[in-house]
Amino acid sequence: MTAAVALFLCGTVTVLVSLELPFGTLHMPGSGFFPLVLGLMLAALAAGHGVQLYLAKPKQPAGVPGATGGAPHWRLDEATRRVLLFMGAVGGATALMSSLGYTLTSFLLMLALLQILGIRGWRHCGLIALSSACACYLVFVRWLAIPLPDGWLGF
Amino acid sequence: MLESFQYLLGGFAVAMTLQNLTYCLVGAVVGTLVGILPGLGPIAGIALLIPATFGLNATSALIMLSGIYYGAMYGGSTTSILINVPGETASVITCIDGYKMAQQGRAGPALAIAALGSFIAGTVSIFGLVLIAPPLAEAALAFGPPEFAALMVFAFVVLSNVTGTSLVKALMMALAGLIIGTVGLDPVTGNERFTFDSAYLLGGVEFVAVAIGVFGLGEVLVNVAKPPAELDQRVTVPRFRDLYPSFEDLKRSIGAILRGTGIGFFTGLIPGPAPVIATYASYAVEKHISKHPEEFGNGAIEGVAGPESANNAATQSAFIPLFVIGVPFGPVPAILLGALLVHGVTPGPLLISENPQLFWAVVASMYIGNFILLLLNLPFVPLFANMLRVPKKILLPLVMLFCVTGMYSVNNSMSDIWMMLVFGALGYLLRGWAYEGAPLLLGLVLGPKLEVAFRQSVMISHGDFGIFFNRPVSLALLVLTLGFLIFPLAARAWRFFHGKPSADATPGG
Repeated sequence: MTAAVALFLCGTVTVLVSLELPFGTLHMPGSGFFPLVLGLMLAALAAGHGVQLYLAKPKQPAGVPGATGGAPHWRLDEATRRVLLFMGAVGGATALMSSLGYTLTSFLLMLALLQILGIRGWRHCGLIALSSACACYLVFVRWLAIPLPDGWLGF
Repeated sequence: MLESFQYLLGGFAVAMTLQNLTYCLVGAVVGTLVGILPGLGPIAGIALLIPATFGLNATSALIMLSGIYYGAMYGGSTTSILINVPGETASVITCIDGYKMAQQGRAGPALAIAALGSFIAGTVSIFGLVLIAPPLAEAALAFGPPEFAALMVFAFVVLSNVTGTSLVKALMMALAGLIIGTVGLDPVTGNERFTFDSAYLLGGVEFVAVAIGVFGLGEVLVNVAKPPAELDQRVTVPRFRDLYPSFEDLKRSIGAILRGTGIGFFTGLIPGPAPVIATYASYAVEKHISKHPEEFGNGAIEGVAGPESANNAATQSAFIPLFVIGVPFGPVPAILLGALLVHGVTPGPLLISENPQLFWAVVASMYIGNFILLLLNLPFVPLFANMLRVPKKILLPLVMLFCVTGMYSVNNSMSDIWMMLVFGALGYLLRGWAYEGAPLLLGLVLGPKLEVAFRQSVMISHGDFGIFFNRPVSLALLVLTLGFLIFPLAARAWRFFHGKPSADATPGG
């Protein structure tokens, strides 16, 4: 249901933004014609799908736990927490890469990701992270000559 | 036909240069590794490695990327047979009898027959490509904008029909991809659309960011969400005392290999995930015609030979619609189309006449690649299988680091990495909601082409939409498209009246 609602919103936003673009005529369709049609189709399909899911949802009888109508109990499960931490680490590395440089950032990123995935022992993690960062530096910076950010340290 | 073979010889001259041979070898090796590693299929593998080809010319880049594609198809069988885990979806069916053979101590013959079948199927299929592609390209020259528009709509609907479980979900993904494809400058008038005053979005949404995000990063995140114990698993690779199949194995397999080749070749010409469909069709045929159907599921070598040949034949023939009409009929060719466009090559009816060196060199490299893969897959299988010993807890951060580095190298832009992260999160959510990413990517790649073809058609006809129905080819394609849309609805209506549940009504989507 969440996906259907999200796609419905995407379709609706597309339609609204497309209406501000020149529609043109049927002889000469303008910039807004194609996205408007696509947005309408997406919104219609998502709405239909959402309604279908709502109607297909089994009705929970009164007295069943979870059907009390109280406030939803939000709790981050372990898997979601790990995914968020993983994404957060990559986001942080992206934000820091211009300042710290590619090699140092890749070392720190590897270290963080290994920790998030539960590799124990800082020495073990550090060794893997260091060798990965060095290998990446040699392959991408030295061998393939990709102009990756140097940062304050110059590498 | 003689002309085609003369061109093919010229293609060999280009493909046999040391540089192109190296890229062919690299592609085959990397593809085999991608196929072996569970969870990293050819789509994610190619998406991740597109940035690595930016320093190469278009011919070398395509030789390497094609090598990754068919290498992954070869490698996928290894894990299916050894540990009952398919390296990619087209190898799922190989698990059934391949793993049983491994349990009976016959992993060697199973792997050898898989490699031999793949080699024969790949080679025969390339021969078919050489024969069919040039005349088909000439016929496709008669295609105008209405035919191309109808063909792309047909490809969308058919791919949506055969991908995943729900037609509605796949169509919504294709529409979302088409909408993302409209971001940037209007291809006809040059007006800005959906850029929200961002200079970064003027050039459109970066295809590589979407591909790496939805497939590469999405796959990594799905694995990250798994319980830590599952990420810790290491695989014990069996030793190979007897790799080579017996005469009896060869005798039983040859028919299955040839039938699988035929099934795979023709399935590759139809829109959809051809290699997957081909393996199921081949397995069903082998079981149906076998004198010992009870052996299927218990280690029948035909159950390995047929599907493995079919998936490789389909892989090669799927290049025909991509090269000849410029419309990919499956997710992997869609990624390859994106890569070609990035390299400034536009596939289509004019590719063979305007860019013969690239086309024939790639075809020739496929022959060479198949031979390289046969050599790799027979004696070096234990070596490749050792990759499975690396725990995912180490592999996933490394893949992530490659994603970030590869993404940055496309345009030397941090914005691309942010875009990749956004689409990575989207890819993860889509998997959780049971939505397919492939139609989204197809929509993104084909969207601008479809829009141009559609608007050109309407302009030619002065606003008369009848242009799509007055021309026989576009009419036939639209009738077929309608058939593909109506058939599932009719099937659902039939199920409804007979009291069976609908596949689309999955709660939580």
